[in-house]
Amino acid sequence: MKNDIEKLGYDWITADPENVDVGSDYYCETRDVFQARLDRMVDDLLANNNIKTEKAYLVSAVAGEIGNNSFDHNLGNWVDVMGIFFGYNFVGNELKIVLADRGQGVLKTLKKVKSELENDSEALETAFTERISGRAPEARGNGLKFSKESIKRENMHLIFTSGNAQAELNKEMKIKQIDENIKGCLAILTV
Amino acid sequence: MKIELKKFGGVLISRPAGREAYLAASAYLLKGIDKNELIEIDFSGVKVLAPSWADEVITKIAQDFKNIKLLNTENSSVQATLKTLRDYSDLKV
Repeated sequence: MKNDIEKLGYDWITADPENVDVGSDYYCETRDVFQARLDRMVDDLLANNNIKTEKAYLVSAVAGEIGNNSFDHNLGNWVDVMGIFFGYNFVGNELKIVLADRGQGVLKTLKKVKSELENDSEALETAFTERISGRAPEARGNGLKFSKESIKRENMHLIFTSGNAQAELNKEMKIKQIDENIKGCLAILTV
Repeated sequence: MKIELKKFGGVLISRPAGREAYLAASAYLLKGIDKNELIEIDFSGVKVLAPSWADEVITKIAQDFKNIKLLNTENSSVQATLKTLRDYSDLKV
């Protein structure tokens, strides 16, 4: 069963455009809003005894990379509602961070630089493992690799969904096809 | 020359912010400095560093100057970010 923040994130990304809750405290219309809320999350994590300081820093860096990726790859090109959903909460000792965007999705973004990609699963595999960026010729594309390695090192758990593919990362990364089509990207990080 | 990254903020995460930081550093801190001079980049006081910001600043300064020293890199996000830049952005420091 999804906890509250997961459900809110899922509802936000799957809602019809006219029903997206842009008045939500979790909605970050611009990167500046996201940065301010991430700064607040850092302080919240540091004030929480359930997470060690060094882990809090690394978790925040991973969330920063995933959230900024949404802005980097959809700026001026959002499908409908611009910006991202960003929420976090503690359930017992477990921290959940949810990030979602209603953007182009990984496949459409990477297909511009790797036209041979055939499906969402291949796109996710590429995004997490290859040195590539949808914004070539700019030299970019290390954010998800950083996230993958940090998750492995600190024993975190990430479910990253785009289109009909879902990557699950912990010590290993597994990618599977799912029955629904998530337009954009939905990331659920568990610490 | 020592660059104290905490003067750019405690949470350094995005490329646009990194690009702005690099431009400011180039104009006010590094302008006119010889390419062979020692540049010390001090990470003390930085809470969160992500590769996007660092790639716009650390990688570029390391391309501009030959003699770079990184100071106070113990923070977990600094360590992980530097490793990512070395693995994926050809950072040689």
